Amino acid sequence: MKNIVFLLLVFTVLVGCKNDSKSSDETTLNQLNVYTHRHYDSDKQLFEMFEKETGIKVNVINSKADELIQKMVLEGEQSPADVLITVDAGRLHMAKEKGLLQPVKNTAVIDSILSPNLVDKDYEWIALTKRARILVYAKDRIDPTELSSYEDLVLPKWEGKLLFRSSSNIYNQSLMASIVANDGEDIAKKWAQGMVKNQARKPKGNDRDQVKAIAAGEGDIAIVNTYYVGKMLNSNDRVELEAADKVGVFFPNQKDRGTHINISGIGIAKHSPNPEAANQLIHFLLNEEAQKVFALSNYEYPVNPSVENSEILKAWGDFKEDSLHLNLLGELNKKAVILFDEAGWK
Amino acid sequence: MKQAGSSQENFSWKYRIQRGIRDFNKWTVFTVLILLFIAVPVITIFFKLFDGPGESWEHISKYLLADYLKNSLYLAILCSLITLIAGVFSAWVVTRFEFPMRTYLEWLLIIPLAIPGYIMAYAYAGFFDYGGIFSWLLSPFGIENFKLDMMNVIGLSFVLGISLFPYIYVSARAFFLTQALNLLEASRLLGVSETKSFFKLVFPLARPAIVAGLVLVLMEVLNDYGAAEYYGVNTFTTGIFRSWFSLEEPETAIYLSALLLSIVFVLIILEKYQRRKLQYTSPKSGRTSIDYRIQFNRPKQLVLTLLVSLPVLLGFIIPVIQLVQWSVRTFSEVFNQDLLWLSLQSFGIAFAGACFTVLFALLLLYFSKWNKIYSVQSASKLGVLGYAIPGAVVAIGIMIPTLSLDKNFIDWGWASKFIINGTLIALVYAYVVRFLAVAYQPLESSSLKVNSSIPDSSKILGMGNFKTFFKIEFPLLKAGMLSAFILVFIDILKELPLTLILKPYHINTLAVNAYGYASDEMVMHASIPSLFIILTALIPVIVLNKLLLKNG
Amino acid sequence: MDRILEVNKLTKSFDKGKSYALKDVNFHIDRGHICAVVGESGSGKTTLIRLIAGLENPDNGEIFLNNNLVSSLKKVVQPEKRNIGMVFQEYALFPHLNVIENVLYGLKKNKDKKERALEVIQLVGLTDFEKRYPHELSGGQQQRVALARALAPNPSLLILDEPFSNLDAMMRHQLRNEVFNIIKKTGVTAIFVTHDTQDALAVADEILILQEGQLIQKDEASKLYNKPQSIYVASLFGNTVQLNKGLKKAFRCPLKEDCCHAIRNENIAINASDCEYVTEAKILKRTFLGTHWQLLLKLENGENLSVVTNETVLGDTLKIGFNSKDVLQFDE
Repeated sequence: MKNIVFLLLVFTVLVGCKNDSKSSDETTLNQLNVYTHRHYDSDKQLFEMFEKETGIKVNVINSKADELIQKMVLEGEQSPADVLITVDAGRLHMAKEKGLLQPVKNTAVIDSILSPNLVDKDYEWIALTKRARILVYAKDRIDPTELSSYEDLVLPKWEGKLLFRSSSNIYNQSLMASIVANDGEDIAKKWAQGMVKNQARKPKGNDRDQVKAIAAGEGDIAIVNTYYVGKMLNSNDRVELEAADKVGVFFPNQKDRGTHINISGIGIAKHSPNPEAANQLIHFLLNEEAQKVFALSNYEYPVNPSVENSEILKAWGDFKEDSLHLNLLGELNKKAVILFDEAGWK
Repeated sequence: MKQAGSSQENFSWKYRIQRGIRDFNKWTVFTVLILLFIAVPVITIFFKLFDGPGESWEHISKYLLADYLKNSLYLAILCSLITLIAGVFSAWVVTRFEFPMRTYLEWLLIIPLAIPGYIMAYAYAGFFDYGGIFSWLLSPFGIENFKLDMMNVIGLSFVLGISLFPYIYVSARAFFLTQALNLLEASRLLGVSETKSFFKLVFPLARPAIVAGLVLVLMEVLNDYGAAEYYGVNTFTTGIFRSWFSLEEPETAIYLSALLLSIVFVLIILEKYQRRKLQYTSPKSGRTSIDYRIQFNRPKQLVLTLLVSLPVLLGFIIPVIQLVQWSVRTFSEVFNQDLLWLSLQSFGIAFAGACFTVLFALLLLYFSKWNKIYSVQSASKLGVLGYAIPGAVVAIGIMIPTLSLDKNFIDWGWASKFIINGTLIALVYAYVVRFLAVAYQPLESSSLKVNSSIPDSSKILGMGNFKTFFKIEFPLLKAGMLSAFILVFIDILKELPLTLILKPYHINTLAVNAYGYASDEMVMHASIPSLFIILTALIPVIVLNKLLLKNG
Repeated sequence: MDRILEVNKLTKSFDKGKSYALKDVNFHIDRGHICAVVGESGSGKTTLIRLIAGLENPDNGEIFLNNNLVSSLKKVVQPEKRNIGMVFQEYALFPHLNVIENVLYGLKKNKDKKERALEVIQLVGLTDFEKRYPHELSGGQQQRVALARALAPNPSLLILDEPFSNLDAMMRHQLRNEVFNIIKKTGVTAIFVTHDTQDALAVADEILILQEGQLIQKDEASKLYNKPQSIYVASLFGNTVQLNKGLKKAFRCPLKEDCCHAIRNENIAINASDCEYVTEAKILKRTFLGTHWQLLLKLENGENLSVVTNETVLGDTLKIGFNSKDVLQFDE
């Protein structure tokens, strides 16, 4: 028994030291430490491709963006992080505000690929993929011509029909921030109150649950992310498939500013030990080959316009995007949360 | 009258200080050091309090605090009820009655601990969802598309309660096995019925043991984030995360944690107080085990089997069925050999973490005993407070001091890179801080069971504290140490926020893997790593039970 | 004679001075003596020996062992450095060690270690039981193992805490004699705590009486019995009848009324007219107690009195009396 305990301890220590044992400046240059909120198989695949192409080893720390940012703040100058990847613009903005990021090089290349609202004005972060926050509706109960914009959801005709998730969800916070930016604080607050008034049930569950609730008749219209609808349409769960089949997809605000989009993006850490490799990774992720992986395996909209959308996204057609600069989402995030609370959006 | 004067003098400050100097020994120093080591994160957070809450404090207290308090209170009350009923009842039935499958059920009742609360939450939501297993089971009866809404306070209480009741089951059963028989026989001879004896005698006497389990349950409940967030129930802990991350105000989050901490602190004090009052509950002699069980006729026995199977069904079988169903669907996408490697790493980390946690719990327990200054002895109880702090907050509490150490090491040229952060040291340190209470509680109660005159005689026979510990107390504490070890092991295996923030690059755990899928709303894909967590946790649970049975 | 143990003004409180477990206790024990500490439960006996053993630290006062200061306000020598032997009430045998391992436990590394262990095991009469575990032994055998274990390292002072309280009456007397024969044989100085005065009277050279944390009398056994300092001490050593005003009047005995007097039950004579003080009594109730009778009497002047006698008393009335030399007098 004692021997087993000893062996296990030795084993654990060895695993723990695996990293330390080969630490030297040379290896630092051959590795890239990625702090990421994305934990998709597409990303794993891309990092492997990057490793093969450049010989740079990619180490991944997966956690929520908030926690990663806290970690970087605390680690300060010695932070081993090279890049930070998040699934929303707000968090990247926050990281920038805290002085955690540095500008990306070769900005000309980036400008040639990305539209300006998808890049920080100081080039401290860059979008990798886009998702649209859209409406889905019960095909059998709602006439899509009756739908128009986020703002119109508060009309009395939708009373008891709306489904949305909790206000602690970052996508909802970003949507709210975009409404504050476009319509002003007062209207935004009234909008949130109207939404709560029209809710079919208390906010709960995730995006997929909202779609399932429509299918089950709990409500008729829900606010969800394109990305999850895409995943559900390709699910191997019969229930999810059926639910996704029962709903139609509607891109709101096509007649005015366009549908709210959010991004998954990347920034280079201020104290990156290996900024060269970090820049390399960013350019790698923006090239067509990598963008194709994002688009095909993850139902996200690629930011590189020369890459085609996946079949499902193509079927929904093109749409007008809200061209609001994504920096604003970060700046107004806190305001959005406060307005949610004041309006009683749980 | 003259004596009265001199006796007051005995407790004048002059004499107290003299005695303090006399009683001060190296164990006092060690106790304080260990206490500091454990308390550094708590103290770090505590000092943050003096910065005051952030500007959104007003906003939170105006719009949200009432809701947090209400929900947390509901949750605490409902979970207490569920865990008490399931835990105490099943513990009593398995120790007191004979029925088919008893020996299997005895250890199956511990297993729900192995399922992380958030996984349980996902599994139940799926199970009762439209087109879920439950609605499929109902469809032959003509009920179509049925959904039982789990996503509310009641559902959350149920899910957490059913995954945490084993804490109470374990401590209540240990008490019933060792203490209850003599009392019960006496009561039966006085003509009191079995049921009445239980409620009038056994239950009140088992209270300290039960409350000790309940405190662990409540701390876990108040600490839950994943399940509460998914079910849309705003609790204190979701509030902490909201003010930290959404409102971008760590100060406010820390303020909220401090509030939560004081609630838990009051709970601990109450528990200690009532335990002190009820010290008569450990009779010195008497038969030490229930050596026979009541045998009813066959139909009644089967009823007992069914009743005791119910918590196992709800806490283990149903969620596992759901997970298995999902894992069959996602098998081809998720399963690969890496999972085995992940299991091995998870096992290794949990093993190392549990070893150190138990070690520190032992050190704290014994160093404080060997130290002769009473106030230091009572202060040592504070070491368990880490359990009350949300994991993410503990992580920050750990990183602030250890990073400044790391940076100093680099400045002084002792190291070229971080040697605490980003290595197992910080992670294991965090586990020790967080789970010390889980280890401390069974150790303390089993050390109380060793008659104090046994270590005393060892000392009188010329052995120092250390020799006495290794030669006498260690062998006698083995069972308590093992149950402490296993409880911590399982907790670490399930642990998420600390592991996410503090783990080294090259290490990945099953919980992190499951979380990756679940946080991307791929709950189904999380089922396979979740099942692996359960399997890995199962091994020590079985060991624990073997030991409990042997030493019962 | 040299003093093995000396205790000066020893004081201990467990609640910061609200009440005292021990208060200003002074006494000493000479080499080779056996000293009994007698008192009711809660009188501070156990605290006293735990302080002597070093298991607790005193609040004030001093303890000297072999003329070395071991406990005081400024210094406490740890129990393992005091060379004391102790037999606990529950024996406190190490449950995971067998008899010989238990006895060997306290012996210093030395090649005679094993021999010494076997020697004391033989002394307590447990040869052939060396390999048994504590739970395989009877209560009396466990007691003897505990004694052997305590004696093995040749302690300068042996402490026994309620050594016989866990045994039944039959065993008790036999074992008491055995144990103290062994102790006498080794010549070790011993202090033992008991609430049973018979034990104390039977084997102790001197007896300490503790009441509510205070030492109220310390004397040789016979002195203590014949000249108790208070009615409390007197009543510890057998049934004692306090002579109140009514009784004094009934027996027509000319004792000063402002003094406290008592008479031991066994000194009250039945049907004896030759005593100095005599009175008539009516028997209200008689209870047969095997070796003797207990009688509830009503005296001439209406006072009730309960006495014991080993004679069988006939009739409804009888004469009872006592002599002045048997009267105990206290100052209170």
